[in-house]
Amino acid sequence: MFPIQVLATILLPFAAAFEFFHNPVDGPNALPILTCFILIPNLAAFLIMATPANWTKWISLFAASLELGLAFRVFTLYQISAGGFQLVEQVPWLNNLGIQYLLGVDGMSTLMVVLVACVYFAGSLISWNVTMRTKEYFVLFSLLVGGVAGAYTSLDLFFFFLFYEFAVLPMYLLVGIWGSGRKEYAAMKLTLMLLAGSAFMLVGFLAMYFSSSVHTFDIRILGNLSQTNFTPEFQNFWFPLLFLGFGVIAAVFPFHTWSPDGYGSAPTAASMLHAGVLKSLGGYSIIRVALPALPQGARHWLPILVFLTIVNILYAAIVALKQKDFKYVIAYSSVSHCGAILFGICTLQVAGLNGAVIQTLSHGIVAAMTFALVGLVYGKAHTRELAKLGGLGAAMPVLGGLFVAAAMANVGLPGLSGFVGEFLIFLGSYRSGFHGGFNIFQVLFPTAILAIVLTAIYYLRLVQIVFYGPVKDPHIKEEAKDGSFIEILPIAFLLVVSLAVGLYPKPFVDLSNATIAPLIDQIGGFK
Amino acid sequence: MIQVSAFLPELWLVGTAMLVLVVDLFRGPAAGKGPLQWLAALGTLGALVSLSCLNGTCLFSACTVSEPVQSFAGFLKTDSLALFFKMVILLATLLTLLMAVRYFKTHNTYTAEFLAILLFSAAGASALTSAQEIITLYISLETLTISSYLLASFMKKDKGSNEAGMKYLLLGAFSSALLLLGFSYLYGLTGTTVIADVAKSLASQPVSPLLVLSVILIIAGLAFKISLAPFHMWTPDVYEGAPTPVTAFLSVASKTAGFAAFVRLFWVGLSAPSVLPVWMGLFAVLSAMSIVLGNLEALPQRNIKRMMAYSSIAQAGYISTGFLAGGKLGLTAVLFYTFVYLFANLGAFLAIVIVSGKTGSDQIEDYAGMWKRSPLIGVALLVCLLSLAGVPPFAGFSGKWYLFGAAVHMGYTWLALVGMVFSVVSLYYYLQVVRQALVSDAKDPSPIEMNLLEKGVLLICVIFTVTLGFWPRPIMDVAQAAATSLFN
Repeated sequence: MFPIQVLATILLPFAAAFEFFHNPVDGPNALPILTCFILIPNLAAFLIMATPANWTKWISLFAASLELGLAFRVFTLYQISAGGFQLVEQVPWLNNLGIQYLLGVDGMSTLMVVLVACVYFAGSLISWNVTMRTKEYFVLFSLLVGGVAGAYTSLDLFFFFLFYEFAVLPMYLLVGIWGSGRKEYAAMKLTLMLLAGSAFMLVGFLAMYFSSSVHTFDIRILGNLSQTNFTPEFQNFWFPLLFLGFGVIAAVFPFHTWSPDGYGSAPTAASMLHAGVLKSLGGYSIIRVALPALPQGARHWLPILVFLTIVNILYAAIVALKQKDFKYVIAYSSVSHCGAILFGICTLQVAGLNGAVIQTLSHGIVAAMTFALVGLVYGKAHTRELAKLGGLGAAMPVLGGLFVAAAMANVGLPGLSGFVGEFLIFLGSYRSGFHGGFNIFQVLFPTAILAIVLTAIYYLRLVQIVFYGPVKDPHIKEEAKDGSFIEILPIAFLLVVSLAVGLYPKPFVDLSNATIAPLIDQIGGFK
Repeated sequence: MIQVSAFLPELWLVGTAMLVLVVDLFRGPAAGKGPLQWLAALGTLGALVSLSCLNGTCLFSACTVSEPVQSFAGFLKTDSLALFFKMVILLATLLTLLMAVRYFKTHNTYTAEFLAILLFSAAGASALTSAQEIITLYISLETLTISSYLLASFMKKDKGSNEAGMKYLLLGAFSSALLLLGFSYLYGLTGTTVIADVAKSLASQPVSPLLVLSVILIIAGLAFKISLAPFHMWTPDVYEGAPTPVTAFLSVASKTAGFAAFVRLFWVGLSAPSVLPVWMGLFAVLSAMSIVLGNLEALPQRNIKRMMAYSSIAQAGYISTGFLAGGKLGLTAVLFYTFVYLFANLGAFLAIVIVSGKTGSDQIEDYAGMWKRSPLIGVALLVCLLSLAGVPPFAGFSGKWYLFGAAVHMGYTWLALVGMVFSVVSLYYYLQVVRQALVSDAKDPSPIEMNLLEKGVLLICVIFTVTLGFWPRPIMDVAQAAATSLFN
């Protein structure tokens, strides 16, 4: 009885999304699909506020399934052959500063739209058993998704920034109220660091606006203006600030410190969304805004900034080896993987950037899956200390098996999504044409590959400590049970997505390439 | 001929104030003070409505006049700019009166006199916005500030209030003296007190050291009124000690009037190209100092009124960046931000008045568990304070986007960076309140009751603050039209 209701709540809106959005958007009487994509989570938040508490999770699940349906609709509607920005919606908003309500997706944002919907869906299911202040929890959770959905589809810098910061705010309360450990400290640190990064972004956006002859916040136009409007000095000044501003949210070294504390303290669904979706905004924004608008600055700074990303990859991996808390290992692993994304961007090469985009997608899915598993284990074992965990595999074989799969996806086992992204990134770094007397990337990429070995070590160590070996705490063995249907469903779903990307990456890479190839041409990157 | 409509709102306010005093005389000491408060509110509402008589259309949608209305040989001229400022001041007065209703439930004092002085003060602020002549401007300003001294020290039996009034009076009188000295030099240099003529006269003469001195004195005098650093020392003590509705009034109405004076004096009187460099650099420093000092000093505060005092210093700094940038864009940003600031700040103060009426405390830790005691107050604090911090999707965000946009446009990129970085600093202390209100558990979980009007007004503040964040168009259009009356 119970799973049937759940399945109905999932499948009906999913089907409805396909039914109502089957026309191309520019056709007559078609619904604006991207506006709906942003509105659904926000409306869900208001609906949850207005309805009784026992409706809450059903509304959330319904909205998430609808969102998932829309995302797959966008995925199928986007025509790779045509390329460019599609499904564009444009409404003048504020004339005196040229602000427009401008939505649209290209190949890269299509992937991100899919990612947002997948994580929203999984997060809704994982939060099924939240009992404390349930209504407020789901309101904030939905608002967070609403913000991220807007950030990934906005093509106007005003709205991009609005949604970007809008997504950070619910995170403060989610961590502060429903978190664990030093939650209030972690929440404050996370919020302040992320918003400090965006402070530089905002001024950078305004500077771009007033330096261009057209006076526009339209990302598409700013990209074309870069050669003629922005002087090399201007680009060299602003690019590193924007890179680091965006980088803060992608946890670039040395601004990564919010991330382990934040994820360590956040409630499960919040860390899933944050690691999976919000963090990906960093790399995404660099490719979307900083590279096309400031290519000269990018060519000048990337060979220098790449060292930060190398520190990110290696340092976080080494720190992960020494963690005593289950969730902190995953948190540092996420920092390390995001370092790889930024490393891919720094290559400024087609394969490298494609790798970064695919890795963003993959990291989002896999990190969400891993955090979901950690949350479940924590919920059942009531501890995250590695010293106390052990032998859980016998008590929860399904969760154990899924965790091994998630670990392998993190490590980059061929057949799972992690492999595709990392392979492309390393290919890109090998082919990258930056020369400082010699090709620094060819020197750097073996160092980065070292991180894969480290990742394998700390993940296998985790699997061994937590799921194998003797049971250290008999108390745990009595209480710990395997996951229920509703708990396993979201994780299995994410695993399927990861497998799909890993086994048949072509549509995903093609989508990514529809953005990256023209971008590389335009900014004079490497092929 | 004297056109009465040029000072219609002021007439309404002064008339209502008189009426309140007279009615109180006849009602005797034992009668309830409720009707007086409604009378005062009605009078302010009348003044607000009278604004629209100037152009025959309703408020908000088109608060502009095609032809400025003037009186007293042009000394008072109500143009669209003045109208916008008047609208903000009158709305602030109205909200202050509402707070006073709640405040007087727990604090016994001379209600009629309080209401009358508040209305006189509002009349001064309102007249200031249309003053086109230095002496008129000065008289209006003094009407506002002298009334404010009285209001700040209104709680006779309260030590803090007395201290506040005394400090405000001494420093305020000093700053007024500086201002007057500055004006006298300006008069000596130009031979006129009409602001527009001052501009003409200054354009035709070289910049003299006396002019520089005069400008410095004027800035010092006026910066005191809007509490720009380093002339902000009085603010925390006065804001903490004064009755909370008065603090709210000072932080919005008084500041708005101060900015109106700044705009008239500097962007009309001292706007000659040769004079601009004299004050712009100085003002940029004051603005940056206010942002930095205001935000840093707010960090350790544990009393919410003190925190709001430092916050208001920083806010004045933000608004100054737009003022400094000037031009149509800068002035639009200033006006829009003032409007946004009105609802965010007064929404927060309304919440403060309601909470302290119940708990008797202004300590931030006593806001714990507001989500349980009164969810609306919790949400109102979240929305209003984060709007002050400039976090989207709240109105403070779009306001800052415009303020700093104008600053970047005029080449003050460094100032915009300072503003943004310290906005993040400000988030820390605003979030401390939000954390108490929404995250922590209540020590005393008894609910906080509000009447329907208070709920409604709080809700309006919240709705305005949220909506103007992503849809600033309606107010922005009015602000732009108002800015056009000065810059074409």
